[in-house]
Amino acid sequence: MNTEQISTKRVSTNNIRTKQVSVKRYLPDSSAEPYWQQYELPVDDSTSLLDALNHIKEQLDSTLSYRWSCRMAICGSCGVMVNGIPKLGCKTFLRDYEGEIRIEPLSHFPVQRDLVVDMEIFLEHLAAVKPYLIDDNPVKAFDPNAPETYRQSPKQLARYKQFANCINCGLCYSACPQFGLNQEFLGPAALTLAHRYNLDSRDHGKKQRMAELNRHEGVWSCTFVGFCSQVCPKNVDPAAAVNQGKVEAAKHTLIALFKG
Amino acid sequence: MSKLSINRPSMNKQGAQHKQAFDEPLWWGLFSAGGVCFAVILPAVILFIAVLLPLGLLPAEALSYERASALLFSVPGFLFVGAVVCLPLFHAAHRLRHGLFDISVGNDTLNKKLMYGGAALLSILALGIVVAGMLG
Repeated sequence: MNTEQISTKRVSTNNIRTKQVSVKRYLPDSSAEPYWQQYELPVDDSTSLLDALNHIKEQLDSTLSYRWSCRMAICGSCGVMVNGIPKLGCKTFLRDYEGEIRIEPLSHFPVQRDLVVDMEIFLEHLAAVKPYLIDDNPVKAFDPNAPETYRQSPKQLARYKQFANCINCGLCYSACPQFGLNQEFLGPAALTLAHRYNLDSRDHGKKQRMAELNRHEGVWSCTFVGFCSQVCPKNVDPAAAVNQGKVEAAKHTLIALFKG
Repeated sequence: MSKLSINRPSMNKQGAQHKQAFDEPLWWGLFSAGGVCFAVILPAVILFIAVLLPLGLLPAEALSYERASALLFSVPGFLFVGAVVCLPLFHAAHRLRHGLFDISVGNDTLNKKLMYGGAALLSILALGIVVAGMLG
């Protein structure tokens, strides 16, 4: 089957109609100010927002810039604001929207071009909480006769499993009003991943991470708005993780107080 | 980092990078305890003192002057005032402090002193009245 046949087959399965999508454009080379641009495109019941953006890019306007890769909600590249709510383009379907659809770049991040944002600050916050297994013992050379693995029981896995589903898409940072007010706030995803590794039985890095979490810009900047958990496309529930982190940070402080 | 500096708001909660927030667990603990009191104890207090009593649904002598002062100026009365006045005050102070930060009013260091200081002063006043009544 060639691509034309595939697209004919896809479109023929259900009713095709035309929808208008408004995209906030920002082309710093030609215009200093962002502006809105409307596109009319054919959609059916299976058209995702990412399909729509691909259609615009391929058929209508090749100057449009946006990020995407996997189209199956695992790479976390295609986050945009849809009518003011952070969404993954590939997991958002145009059939769910009546009337106007407004697409903007993710809030709270500097815009580089059209829907492409600079996520540098998010990556810095992520790196700050050391989101990887930290072991006291140095890694030994692999011995094929006596292979050693990290052992973990299903119960130990269950403690952190939910918080391990983060795909670093950054939707929670766009949803978080506290990150909007103070970019130094470590933010939902970084705090959640810190909590995920703190809960992991194989990890010994909690002490290092607590020093980051127990800052004003750590867990204490969170006011439990909870919008991060609502927009998370993987149901990670960062708000729960951050607030469990507050309990941990409070314990950490008490222990530090008594130990001196 | 430098690219982002233009987008950063001038008002940060704290300037120092790795400063540990030793005070925050205390404020958060008082906020949590106050929230529980607000949700569990205060509705019952309002029901008895502000609804049932004025409507005459309780015996007239239930909170007569002698009975009320005997109840209040005692160790249980001291704990009662702590639970219905002091802890909810710290709960409200915490909300006001974060609310002021949300609408970018004042700066957080000053707001903290004003809000928690105010809650502490009013708490000392409330508990002081109970202690004075117990001694007097």
